[in-house]
Amino acid sequence: MNGPSHRLVQVPPGVQCFVGAEARRRRRIEETVVSAFEGWDYEEIIPPLFDYADVFASPGLAARTYSFVGRDGSLLALRPDFTSLLAKIAAGRLADRPAPIRLYYSGEVLRYEPPKAGRQSELFQMGLEHLGGPRAPADAEILAVAGECLESLGITGWVLALGHVGAFHGLVRALGLPQTVADLVSERVEAKDAEGVRAALSAHGASGEVAEALVGLSALAGDRGALAEGARALACCPDAARAVAELREVADALEVAGLGGHVAIDLGEVRGLDYYTGLVFRVYAPGLGFEVGGGGRYDTLLARFGRPMPAVGFMLGLDRLALLLERQQALPPGEAVAADRVDGEALGAALAVARETRASGRRVRFDAGAKEAR
Amino acid sequence: MSLTVALSKGKLLAGAEALFRRARLPFPEDPGRRLVVALDGLRFLFVKDMDVPTYVEYGVADCGVAGRDVLLETGSDVYEPLDLLFGRCRLVVARPRGEAADTRSSTLRVATKYARVTSAHFLERGVSVEVVRLAGSVELAPGLGLSDCIVDVVETGRTLEENGLVVVEEVASSSARLVVNRASFHARREEVGRLVDTLSGARS
Repeated sequence: MNGPSHRLVQVPPGVQCFVGAEARRRRRIEETVVSAFEGWDYEEIIPPLFDYADVFASPGLAARTYSFVGRDGSLLALRPDFTSLLAKIAAGRLADRPAPIRLYYSGEVLRYEPPKAGRQSELFQMGLEHLGGPRAPADAEILAVAGECLESLGITGWVLALGHVGAFHGLVRALGLPQTVADLVSERVEAKDAEGVRAALSAHGASGEVAEALVGLSALAGDRGALAEGARALACCPDAARAVAELREVADALEVAGLGGHVAIDLGEVRGLDYYTGLVFRVYAPGLGFEVGGGGRYDTLLARFGRPMPAVGFMLGLDRLALLLERQQALPPGEAVAADRVDGEALGAALAVARETRASGRRVRFDAGAKEAR
Repeated sequence: MSLTVALSKGKLLAGAEALFRRARLPFPEDPGRRLVVALDGLRFLFVKDMDVPTYVEYGVADCGVAGRDVLLETGSDVYEPLDLLFGRCRLVVARPRGEAADTRSSTLRVATKYARVTSAHFLERGVSVEVVRLAGSVELAPGLGLSDCIVDVVETGRTLEENGLVVVEEVASSSARLVVNRASFHARREEVGRLVDTLSGARS
């Protein structure tokens, strides 16, 4: 085949390109989300595109980071997420700022994703972090902000599925499970495969009340009734029971504030265990088979950067929001306002007219000399 | 909007039909060549067995019936709330009868449909393998010199026997599972919950 090589025509797998209406729609989604963040008094932060690789050294992330060697020999990495960067900046540049610190971001992250349909390496994320605030109020606040984002985008049927990793951690600690067994069990809890959890525990010789509570953990999902049920089922383990009580405090607040219809409980939500320390949540809506975003509490991350303080945050994926809005037929309009056409033989005069049109705030299509070009 | 159920036309179809009938849920009489059948508030998709988890993971189907063997291979991010207790089989390593096991230290060639499971299994044992990926009739591979052994599912073991193979190791046991899309589980909680409960009560 002749013609330019495919490298000069296609973009590599995992990255995308948006033009015109599509780009405009994405920008409108971003503006809506960002205005909710601003409305709750979060400050924008524009962090660097790359930083030292050590910043992103969490076990789950390190393997998916695009890293490269800088001119001075230091190992650098393209940001695979914003949270570690913001934690570093809050602990460093903003060290003198009193807590709580409310920050938001909007931009691309880059992660290596194994080739699989629909997985992108370049993801546009919009999110916020609430650093150093009191637990329940901060948790409730960020969930309310997430709700406002979804509401103002016109998404229907959205659900915040709330969990608390303390339930799982508490049970695993009480049973004294070694890491390999805990990993296997968490994978089965995540799949809501209660029998699989039972098999993994009995292979390890774990039994009794606490083991049974762990087997039943993934079934503690549904409406707020799952919290009452969870309080009963996990009463045998004080740490797990405390987690349920913390979650209940937040869920109660959301109920009173009128968000109850959007709350689902899922105590079997145990993703990102090496990172989250309390509340975890994911955002789902009818029309999309996977979450559009999520977040949680990470009270130990800031200590890595020398300013120990509790923190909670969430992010929404722009690509997923756009896909969801398309499926729900609620995409913001992508058309531009019509432009005034300005032409004429005399270039200078035409340009003057165009400038006047712009000064009056209208959109201009400058077509002077269009005839000659043809 | 009705719930969409992904089913395979393969070996789990009869078991799935029996289960749905016991549960007094609609089930297509004879889908024939149709791949999508809507029936009394449920919509059925008939797809390849290895594709069921993918349809459910992406939310094209709200739930589906898939073998644990297939779930292990695809590694799909779906909920598996119910063991449906049919379609039981074992995923095993088998090699030609009479051949001494592990006499070679060089790379072992393994023919299989389950490339991911196979790689993970031997990696765990510190055995280096070359996986020969096949789409079917895997039992033929060792006899024809394509591989040293195979990883495949067995129910009765007769096919292995007829091809001069013996089981040397079990990799995993499998049965049919109800799989549920994560978003459907939460965003369509009531409908999905009803279906799970109904099927749970109808298991034999």
